[in-house]
Amino acid sequence: MLELILLSLGLSCVTGVLALVFGKAHAASKTIACVGGMISAALSFAGGVGALFAAPVYASWAGPLPFTNFTLLLNPLAGLLIAVIAALACMAWLYGLSYFDEYYDKGIGVIGFFMNLFIASMNLVILSDNAFWFLVFFELMSLTSYVLVIIDQTEKSLRGGFLYLIMAHIGFLMIACSFFVMATATGSLEFEAFRTTALAPGLGTVAFVLAFFGFGAKAGMVPFHSWLPQAHPAAPSNVSALMSGGMIKIGIFGICKVCFDLLGATGGEVAWGILVIIIGAISSVMGVVYALGEHDLKSLLAYHSVENIGIILLGVGTGIVGWTAGLPWLAAIGLLAGLYHVVNHAMFKGLLFLGAGSVLHATGTRNMEVLGGLARLMPVTAVCFLVGSLAISAIPPLNGFVSEWYTYQGLISAAMSGDILIRIVFAFAVVALAITGALAVTCFVKAFGVTFLARPRSEAAEQAHEVPLCMRVAMVILTLACVALGLCAAWVAPVIELIASSLLHAPLVPVSDGALLVSLDTVSVVSPLIMAVLMAVVIAVCVLVRNAANRKAGMKEDPATWACGYEADLSMETLASTVGAHVKNFMEPIYRIRFCVNRLGQMIASFVGKTLGTRSEAVVTGERPKSASRFDRDRLHGIAPAPQKAPALSESVLALVEDIGVWFGRLEGGDFRTYIVYIVGALVFFLALIILIR
Amino acid sequence: MSIIVAFLQAVLLVAIAPLISGIARNIRAKMHSRKGPSILQDYYDLAKLWKRCEVREGGSGLISRLMPPIYLGSFVLVAAGLPLIMQACPVPYLGDIITILYLMALPRFMFSLASIDSAGSYTAIGGVRELLVGVLVEPSLILVLFVMALAAGSTNVGVMAHAVASLEAYPFVAVVVAGIACAMACYIEMGKLPFDLAEAEQEIQEGPLAAYSGPSLAMLKLGVSVKQLVVASIFVAIFIPFGAAATTAPLDILLGFVLYIVKVLAVFLVAAVIENSVMRVRYKLLGRYTWFVVGIASLSLVFLVIGI
Repeated sequence: MLELILLSLGLSCVTGVLALVFGKAHAASKTIACVGGMISAALSFAGGVGALFAAPVYASWAGPLPFTNFTLLLNPLAGLLIAVIAALACMAWLYGLSYFDEYYDKGIGVIGFFMNLFIASMNLVILSDNAFWFLVFFELMSLTSYVLVIIDQTEKSLRGGFLYLIMAHIGFLMIACSFFVMATATGSLEFEAFRTTALAPGLGTVAFVLAFFGFGAKAGMVPFHSWLPQAHPAAPSNVSALMSGGMIKIGIFGICKVCFDLLGATGGEVAWGILVIIIGAISSVMGVVYALGEHDLKSLLAYHSVENIGIILLGVGTGIVGWTAGLPWLAAIGLLAGLYHVVNHAMFKGLLFLGAGSVLHATGTRNMEVLGGLARLMPVTAVCFLVGSLAISAIPPLNGFVSEWYTYQGLISAAMSGDILIRIVFAFAVVALAITGALAVTCFVKAFGVTFLARPRSEAAEQAHEVPLCMRVAMVILTLACVALGLCAAWVAPVIELIASSLLHAPLVPVSDGALLVSLDTVSVVSPLIMAVLMAVVIAVCVLVRNAANRKAGMKEDPATWACGYEADLSMETLASTVGAHVKNFMEPIYRIRFCVNRLGQMIASFVGKTLGTRSEAVVTGERPKSASRFDRDRLHGIAPAPQKAPALSESVLALVEDIGVWFGRLEGGDFRTYIVYIVGALVFFLALIILIR
Repeated sequence: MSIIVAFLQAVLLVAIAPLISGIARNIRAKMHSRKGPSILQDYYDLAKLWKRCEVREGGSGLISRLMPPIYLGSFVLVAAGLPLIMQACPVPYLGDIITILYLMALPRFMFSLASIDSAGSYTAIGGVRELLVGVLVEPSLILVLFVMALAAGSTNVGVMAHAVASLEAYPFVAVVVAGIACAMACYIEMGKLPFDLAEAEQEIQEGPLAAYSGPSLAMLKLGVSVKQLVVASIFVAIFIPFGAAATTAPLDILLGFVLYIVKVLAVFLVAAVIENSVMRVRYKLLGRYTWFVVGIASLSLVFLVIGI
């Protein structure tokens, strides 16, 4: 299995280089990159799926320095992540065959090169079993994706990319520190040494918390989420799909790996699980509330990634609580819920980003306010987007429902077996998940309804056209994956439970029985497959009865909308801001938090600016949406993403770094290559430090 | 046997939903000192609409067309899984609380989408309102069900019903307080005054109905009645399961059936009395009332945690 994946990595690199070499011949470069990428993704998918059922494969090659042994470990968890990313990558490349036509003048060769490298580096991060190489590939992953974010070279994408770069490095630093803590205790950078050495309990907690926040920054959890809605939408849509669906899962992978695997000998504490649960609950609610305020389709989806990371963390946190409290069933179902949601989120978020890309491709805008009526003009995209919306809203019997069902069962099981503190924390988590679910429904009614339904509200929307075949096929395949992962859950869940049990070193527990999903502690079952059949039958009967009545009584079409006696016009249609304004009525405190955080950030930024005596505040710019009046109306409601508004806390860091950047700028150029030099320098510095201490 | 019960209670709910809403209308009229419509008025309305020619809106598409069947069908499916006549779920895999809540999100999703689809601002306000009621009510409802799951040891509604019926649900006070919170949450979800008036088309909750006519409107009106009945039945099933059949013996089932009708009628009677003794509030103030419900639900959690 490892050979297959290594072969695919090699192919990715060769393809990437070829794409760069043929960069001037646009069509050839694109075809090489996409076809090569697809083959390579297919290979690593096969390898990843194979690894799910095989014993872990361990391979090591001696490196030039004692600590740089190139060690790879392919275990079921790594196999799952590789398979998920490969599936998504394959669809992203297929989609790219048509979608990248728009990027001919933006350096198609560079895109092909970096995207291939990006996918390869993600796989290598997952495989690496040595702290040094893990960090190297982690950094490579951040840098290659950074280049993809700034590929448009607009002010907005540059800003988003830079913020992303900063946050990625804050995360990187924390992860490096965590590994450093473990390395000093064990005297080796090999993960195998971490795995077998028991750390002092306090040290273990330090290592976990550092790793949790470090990987959390990569995953985009609150409070490290601010980069995500700025960076992901800026990349080409299929890269956004890969980043939101795949890359942020590396953060989850890292948290699981450090907690259950690397600190396995040390053992955890229940408090870790509670920390993860609380952050997860906050992330899920905040993510969806902020998503509701967006009217840029891709930003909305990016905020939903924050929400879904929160939901995954709820599952993983339940797993940690079960693992540390010695409750194997709870640990298994929590981890199962988290990992299942990892797979599901990759599929539906990938699908939705590809759908958003199709809308962008067809109309040239991502602003929902000026779209509308696309369902008629782009039926395939509309149906795919609708299925994705239903899946992400956890509507049964689709895949999102299955993983959220397991998450709920895990949370309730944990509360059943826990003490007072656990009960209160998990009650909080359950309520947070319920609010998230209800708000996600609202948000996707808005996203789908405002974009695809009613009548077109602009010329661009009127002249939209269905997207080319490759893009449609990619979306349809992901749609089918969402449906299949829901309907066949009873057969998928045991496979994921296999991964959970291998990670926990615990015996398998039953999670399904025939076509039923089973939750032992809460004595409950559900069957998406049987539900789907029943729903189909009941709804079909209703449709047939109604249509029979229609045939008897006749039916006609009235072109005008009934607006209670008024003449309907386009201004009467529901906009994203309409929904947002209503939600704001009830959710005002949460928006106020963001405002306060932003104000605080602004104050810190100006303080830093004054102290350094360079620039008083960060330059904040943004593209104004095309329709000024609607934009003003949003601002009136205070729920628009309002580019003029104060920068978030993390952006004060950005302001500081910008100042330092200006200072460094005298010595260096200003392009991203400079930063790569910094990173290499930083790495060398840290390595030197480690060697000195040893 | 239990499959037959499931089928029967689904059919039963659809059959009596117009009767129940007819009775509620009649009671209201009586309290207003009006003669009021016949209790069968809703059946007459549906029959009349069923024979009418349907007019489709030009701007609307497949979503609008599919919504009434999905709306009715989803609630029928929920009804089939509830422990109404028996103390256990007739179909276990439809009886999980999470399944029920998320299954009820599907009609809400489609209802609101259809309201946006019709391109009029009036319908859309109703759709958004429907979503927001979900957002505001669902947290307290889930908190109540969480408490019940812990009290009964299962997330299956049938097990909860059995635990309450046999007075085994522990701690007792927490269960009672949860029952109060659940009643309030269900009342809001039913769309009655002071929050809304679900029987008049020009009211907000039924705003989306403005775009429908003929058989589709009939199906949707039936769906709204069934929804009210299902929401009330969830409360009845969990907190007043007394008298429901403990076995599948025909006599027990018959008794359970009769008692279920009596219980639902009682719930609607109480709802009608409350509805007619309060005045209308703007739905923007809904948040204040739901905070109150969240408070009571949290109280039940506190009682559960300290075990009284």
